[in-house]
Amino acid sequence: MSASSTPPAATPLTPLEEAKAHFCGLDLAPRLEQLGRDGWESLDEITLTVHLKWLGIFFRPVTPGRFMVRLRLPNGAIQAKQLAVLAELVDRCGEHGSADITTRQNLQLRGLLLEDMAPLMAALERLGLTSRQSGHDNPRNITGNPLAGLDPEEWLDTRPIVQAIQSALLGPGGPRNLPRKFNVAVGGAPDSFLLHNDLAFLPALRDGELGFTVLVGGFFSAQRNELAVPLGLWLRSAQVPGFTLAVLHHYSAHGNRSARNRSRLMYLVEALGLDAYRAALRATYGELDGAGPDLLDHDGSHLVNRAPRDLCGVHPQKQDGLCWVGLNVPMGRLEADSMAELARLAASYGSGDLRFSESQNVVIADVPADRAEALLAEPLLRRFPAVPGPLLAEAVSCTGNHYCGLALIPTKSTALAVVEELERRLELPEAVRTHWTGCPNACGQPYMGQIGLMGAKARKDGQMVEAARIFLGGSMENEGRLAELHHKGVPLDDLPDVLEALLIDNFGARRRSAADPLAVPS
Amino acid sequence: MATRLSCAVSRTPALDDLLNPLDPADLPSPASVDRWEWLQRLRAGVFPLEPWLAAIEAGGVPPESDLIVVLAERLDAAATVRLLRWWLAQPLRNPTLPQGIAGQRDPVVAKALRQAILDHSDTEVQVALLPLLGHQRQSLDFDLLQRRALEPAPRQQRCAALEGLGLGLSVWPLGALRSTLIQLATDLDPGLAATAVDGLARLPDARSGLLAVRSRALESAVRERLERRLRSAPFRPLLLLVHGRAQGEIPAELRSLAAELQQRRGAPVLLRALTDPQPADLPTLEHPLGLVPLLLLPGEHVRHDLPRLRLELRPSSGLRLLPFLGSWPVWQRALASELSRLVADQPSPPSSPPLLLHHPIASPLGRRYLRLLAAITGATPQEAAYGSDQIEASLLGHQGAVLPLALAANRLTEALTPRFGEAAAPLLSRPALRQVLLELLEALP
Repeated sequence: MSASSTPPAATPLTPLEEAKAHFCGLDLAPRLEQLGRDGWESLDEITLTVHLKWLGIFFRPVTPGRFMVRLRLPNGAIQAKQLAVLAELVDRCGEHGSADITTRQNLQLRGLLLEDMAPLMAALERLGLTSRQSGHDNPRNITGNPLAGLDPEEWLDTRPIVQAIQSALLGPGGPRNLPRKFNVAVGGAPDSFLLHNDLAFLPALRDGELGFTVLVGGFFSAQRNELAVPLGLWLRSAQVPGFTLAVLHHYSAHGNRSARNRSRLMYLVEALGLDAYRAALRATYGELDGAGPDLLDHDGSHLVNRAPRDLCGVHPQKQDGLCWVGLNVPMGRLEADSMAELARLAASYGSGDLRFSESQNVVIADVPADRAEALLAEPLLRRFPAVPGPLLAEAVSCTGNHYCGLALIPTKSTALAVVEELERRLELPEAVRTHWTGCPNACGQPYMGQIGLMGAKARKDGQMVEAARIFLGGSMENEGRLAELHHKGVPLDDLPDVLEALLIDNFGARRRSAADPLAVPS
Repeated sequence: MATRLSCAVSRTPALDDLLNPLDPADLPSPASVDRWEWLQRLRAGVFPLEPWLAAIEAGGVPPESDLIVVLAERLDAAATVRLLRWWLAQPLRNPTLPQGIAGQRDPVVAKALRQAILDHSDTEVQVALLPLLGHQRQSLDFDLLQRRALEPAPRQQRCAALEGLGLGLSVWPLGALRSTLIQLATDLDPGLAATAVDGLARLPDARSGLLAVRSRALESAVRERLERRLRSAPFRPLLLLVHGRAQGEIPAELRSLAAELQQRRGAPVLLRALTDPQPADLPTLEHPLGLVPLLLLPGEHVRHDLPRLRLELRPSSGLRLLPFLGSWPVWQRALASELSRLVADQPSPPSSPPLLLHHPIASPLGRRYLRLLAAITGATPQEAAYGSDQIEASLLGHQGAVLPLALAANRLTEALTPRFGEAAAPLLSRPALRQVLLELLEALP
């Protein structure tokens, strides 16, 4: 395969664009085994740090030689058999091995050696999984309703649509060299909040027919954060994969390749104007082989009307007699043993179907109602509770400085310690969503949290110490609202006290009474 | 060496940057909300490295991790070595700095790391640098990493050396690496031992290394880990070498054995007949091949054909040749058991010991082998040419049991059938012997 979608020749290529244009990382796939045997000496740094991401393989500067592999799990769905094999692969990495559930319902495996790559890729293929094009300037994991097919409230099952989009994007006509990463999501339920995606399809009615209204341009970055805006088009389900392909072809040809901090889709939409952009997409879609009927206008109204549900706990499925059981995975961090045990529980109690959520939690599907109680008594549920505290349930975190050179604080461990401390101190009337991120790149989506926290430094007692900026007011209700800066740097030691006051003042929290067994001894 | 490239922000040279590069003195403090944006401007621009190196060396700019991330993308080998030396000279060293600056593989960096490890015996330096030395993947560093992993030293240092071995796994000499890992797998430190087990599981022919550890005393968590690795360690593909019949025909008993074995092992099991005038080329295989001579006597084939075949196959397949089947003690005992059963099945007490019928064998080695087999089985070896008349002559006056030394039907067993019927069936038609052979082959690495 050769590199494709070379940008227009009018502007000189940046070194990175030149590297992308002249070599496609997918071409490394057949060489992985030989590279593992030969020690990868033939790979230069660009190949190692850039091109391998087309195969989902990430060189990590913080852990040189220990690599990360990011999978693609369309709709966050995974089978117990698949998870069990991944657990084995992580187990081989010993104390360096772990896996993170990501905010895109995905899984990334950490601690892998170069020699693991060829057998890992072969194992993924045998399992029907892939890590292809999961990093760098590619369309990232496509998200959908984590309860798709189980959900009594869903408008439609998003899984076949999400799978069809992935097939179109990874197929021969899919993009191989975008100007920047690209997020696509499909909503299927009243709580499908997706406005942080470059391209979002929300369930919507047109003349009484159920289809999707299209929103474009959502993204978070260190420079700018935007929620997606209605494009004014309505699609039938069958049009969604082709339309997505059209959006990406157009973006590939016209997106900004000279300044990466101004290259996400919203900049292109703004540069062209929404009407011209819509017209251009209609034309691109019309040129696709097998394009369906014309795209229809729409007013942008949709059927998403509330913030995402807390998935934890036992809930009846749309199928009589079956339940889904949502478990809280603290900060989305999985170890090999917990992955293996999750796989066992899903196969023993349910159908083996598991789902990952954007809140970094997991759902075990198809549990007969009369077996739910036995599942709740399993030892793993002491680590991954079905009824977590109101802060733990919705706490989301980026990976932190243990694995990421950009993070200024150990995000996951800090978040877990602070959340647990606050739950010991306080009673809350309802769950509060906290989003933790290690740096302004905002991988932990702090602007979506009711409380957002971002790694920083602050001076305390004359010393520079790790700290967190605090953002308040994020909402994932119908229209969505981004959180705004509330405090520019609270030392981590002081964070529990500051957040305690915030939760009491803004979220109806009350200090636990001394008689409460969870209360912190004074 | 390799070109360095930022993948986070494009770097179109800007005249402004060239004329007025950002000054280290202006870098906002880590507590400043402006620092991130300032560093992103630095990252996106063109700047001379020297003022930054000088500022760090002079103590004017602390090497905070966010700054190092930006500088690391521009460091060449010389700059990396310079920062490394600065770090080594510090009274209070930030233990995470080396991994931030020495991630690039370069012989010059490797040399500096090697020298620092040799010159600075303190644990802090060893722990920080040994993994980075392994990441450099210079084969000459195996001895140093091996020594550091095995020698009595603080646990963190030994773990760091073992991590270094892991990070360069495929460049070290395989035999020495396997021995080192086997030794470390029995270490009293369970963490170290567990990591060594994981290392063994990644080597070619992983099962052999893991099985070598299995019989040793292991801490329970390490043993559990070993068993987990064994469960998923790939089996070698096997090439079963058989005598075969005319024109390379392979009897049904052997084809059935190979098929069942392949199913049990989950790895390819190939068959080749010595009588095949035009053997097919071997397919390309993912793992080194095990060559199993299913031959029962040390005759011409074992002594001459096998070494020739090994030379012929080795370059392409990483071949491992196993001893011929007749020499396996478990197999010899299985023959003895089968003969005992035959004797017990005789209607009346036999007047003579059972016979082991074999094709003619002339070499002194062959004769010694037959004497050994006779001692183990209690049977009398009896040469039998394959014509029915000669066989009748061989059996003249014999009233007891006979066992033909033939795995599958051949002229010998066919000649015996009229007189002995089922009692002269070839060895693989006997359920107990077939089962023993199947299990032996299944247990091979």
